[in-house]
Amino acid sequence: MGRYLIRRLIQAIPVLIGATFLIYALTFAMPGADPIQLLAGEKKADPLVTAMLRAKYHLDDPFLLQYWNYITGVFQGDLGETLTGRKVLDLFSEAFPYTVNLALVAFVIEAVVGVLAGVMAALRRGKFLDQLVLISTLMVISIPVFVTGFVLQLTLGVQLKNNWGIDFFPVSFNENDGIRAYLLPAFVLASTSLAYVARLTRTSLMETMRADYVRTATAKGLPRRRVVVNHALRNALIPIVTFLGADLGSLMGGAVITERIFNIHGVGGLLAQSVYLKQGAVVVGGVTILVLVYLIGNLLVDLLYAVLDPRIRYA
Amino acid sequence: MRGATSAKWVAGAVIVAMAATACSTSKDSNAGKSGGNITVVLGEPQHGLVGQNTAESEGAEVLNALFVGLVDYDNKTNEPKLAVAESIDTTDSKTWTIKIKDGFTFHNGEKVDAASFVRAWNWGANQDNAAEGLPFFSKIEGSDELAPGKDKKPTAKELKGLKVVDEKTFTVTLKDPFSQFKTMLGYNAFYPLPKAFEADPKKFGEAPIGNGPFQMDGAWEHNKQIKIKKYDKYPAEGRAKLDGVTFKIYDNLDTAYNDLRADTIQIVDKLPISAMATVSQEFGDRYIYKPESGVGYIGLPLEQNPEAFGKVEIRKAISMAIDRDAITKTIFNGTRKPADDFISPIIPGYRKGALGEVGTYNPTKAKELYTQAGGVPGNKIELGYNADGGHKEWIEAVANQLKANLGIEVTAKPYAKFGDMLDDLGASKYKGAFRMAWSMDYPAAENYLRPIFSKVAIENGSNYGHYVNEAFETKLAEADKATDAAQGLKLYQEADDIIIKDLPYIPVFTYMSSSAYSKTVKNVEVDAQGRMDLANVELN
Repeated sequence: MGRYLIRRLIQAIPVLIGATFLIYALTFAMPGADPIQLLAGEKKADPLVTAMLRAKYHLDDPFLLQYWNYITGVFQGDLGETLTGRKVLDLFSEAFPYTVNLALVAFVIEAVVGVLAGVMAALRRGKFLDQLVLISTLMVISIPVFVTGFVLQLTLGVQLKNNWGIDFFPVSFNENDGIRAYLLPAFVLASTSLAYVARLTRTSLMETMRADYVRTATAKGLPRRRVVVNHALRNALIPIVTFLGADLGSLMGGAVITERIFNIHGVGGLLAQSVYLKQGAVVVGGVTILVLVYLIGNLLVDLLYAVLDPRIRYA
Repeated sequence: MRGATSAKWVAGAVIVAMAATACSTSKDSNAGKSGGNITVVLGEPQHGLVGQNTAESEGAEVLNALFVGLVDYDNKTNEPKLAVAESIDTTDSKTWTIKIKDGFTFHNGEKVDAASFVRAWNWGANQDNAAEGLPFFSKIEGSDELAPGKDKKPTAKELKGLKVVDEKTFTVTLKDPFSQFKTMLGYNAFYPLPKAFEADPKKFGEAPIGNGPFQMDGAWEHNKQIKIKKYDKYPAEGRAKLDGVTFKIYDNLDTAYNDLRADTIQIVDKLPISAMATVSQEFGDRYIYKPESGVGYIGLPLEQNPEAFGKVEIRKAISMAIDRDAITKTIFNGTRKPADDFISPIIPGYRKGALGEVGTYNPTKAKELYTQAGGVPGNKIELGYNADGGHKEWIEAVANQLKANLGIEVTAKPYAKFGDMLDDLGASKYKGAFRMAWSMDYPAAENYLRPIFSKVAIENGSNYGHYVNEAFETKLAEADKATDAAQGLKLYQEADDIIIKDLPYIPVFTYMSSSAYSKTVKNVEVDAQGRMDLANVELN
């Protein structure tokens, strides 16, 4: 187990270096305008100011030299600076808490609600509850996230307050609202994956319910509850855990739309904006962190397998 | 920290992050019902909050509350009026004597004196600081020594043209006469700076010490909010009525608008397009809708493509084939006005209908002119625009009108970003017509002419078609020399007439600004640069 863990962690190093190099090369190679002109927006950036800033941020150096300077900086704990003079590390330490919190709340909603709905549907196969889960998940999957987001914001945020005086769901994010601030955006963010989790659980559980060992357990006279929870569900959860583990990464990186709608200044929006403005240092920094989240998420998933199914062993 | 891996840093960041968000129990304090606090919309400013380094609207909005310059602009007429300055005098438009009023202090108690302006301008003019406002100091004598150009070192620390006479007086000597200098002084690059700035400009930008009606209430909380509070020692006239204002930072106007509707915030001075259809119904007279400083053009690559656009008749034909009324009404829902001068309607010197015939829709005459002039090569025109700014619809409308009225083939060419189009134009790679816009730096007719159509604007400004006309240059120089305001304005209008005759760009519409505010506040006004006049806002 220990050796396995170390091996996996060592494997992560080339992945990280490869990813940063690739991303850095891609932002560098992105066609089009000077990043300093992009900051100036619709007005033409003054040529002298542009030249001074290009010199200051070494934008005129060849690519490999720029990358070398960047990566040596990273190994000294310096993720670089944006072209407006802010530390990339500061940007991420400001943005990360929001995204992490949002992703965690979303993850909990997704896992708990998704698995519960799936289990209920599987156990009441073909009945009303099953149909309800199937239809509602289909609806959630087919409506784009920004529609769900805006509709919920308008109805629960604006109209509920203005017409009924119920001020529970804030329109936009405000830290002082505590967890309440995360509920609506997290639900919106989780909605699609939640639907997948429900459907995956339903299918997987129905499959295992037909397995021999479940029949044996039932024949032994075990209560149905124990059969389902301890015997069937435990095995049925393996594909779901795989999905959830991979999804934690995409929850963190893919929250661009949700974060925008609810004005959460998290990592998704920061990355999207930085790609647009060709702020290489920010993009690489952010992607590096996301790659790490993916790697750790996957490692956790692999370790969880052994917990769920003791036959799986790591050497 | 040598040898620390990035992984370690990331882990650190995540832990710090979690700790930071773990404690968030205090109750929301910006509801604004009592105590005189309100919340207004803002986008994250780009740079530290230093007037000399701010060329974008969001930073300018905050600076406008924290600082006050030598002159300010009337919210209605946009005429310059004295603010910190007691008097601004000149006899030749070249040497200016500026006297400062008593009673203005920085928020740390330091007096606003002549030196605080000289300090600020010297910093802005020095190329080593790479401040966005640098070009504004190029008119002052000695600026070349502070900004000698790329790969060169400044040979002076101070502008030769600035002289402190006494604590309350200083003189400015310009390289050439410039009659609009006083008007220019209201721009945020000319704000004063206290001594504390020099110690650490970067730190200053996070929590600036200004001289305006509001002072910072804590440091700038990036991507979250900027809080300001009333400065009690501000001169009685112009002192803020509210106790405090929170600029809440949004990157999505739709969300800000929904927050306004739920009265979570009280003023939104930039409404999303989605709100335009219903906002007047919902907000009634709390919806402000007025012309602002922007002008939208079709630009023409005169130098890059003389075969197509070299003849003035062709340019006139294109202009007359554009149905400005239809575009502003159907595409923009009346949120733009047809342009009838190169100068914005809010600027002193604007003349209604100045474009005359060429600004009037006349497809028959247009076609006639076009045929007489021999058309464009291949009977084809390209129309470039940047796809990131909501320009597709009106550019396609113009394309269709040109197609229908002139019988030419017009293709709309999208560029991903505005900068991409500028790159191609600069390298003479793009030879089609293009969309263009200008909004003023300061409310002077001159600001709608020189930065866009003069020779110097080819290198430093927005003259992307590389238009050159000596008569125009001479007229501008003449107007610059004027010592009588009315005479000066007349000469700028004559320069405007030359542009109208030559038509290097085709003005299509002027922009309108739209804002709305909640029932809880009153006296909300927005100036021509789209900035809220927060000192006057009161609670109901």
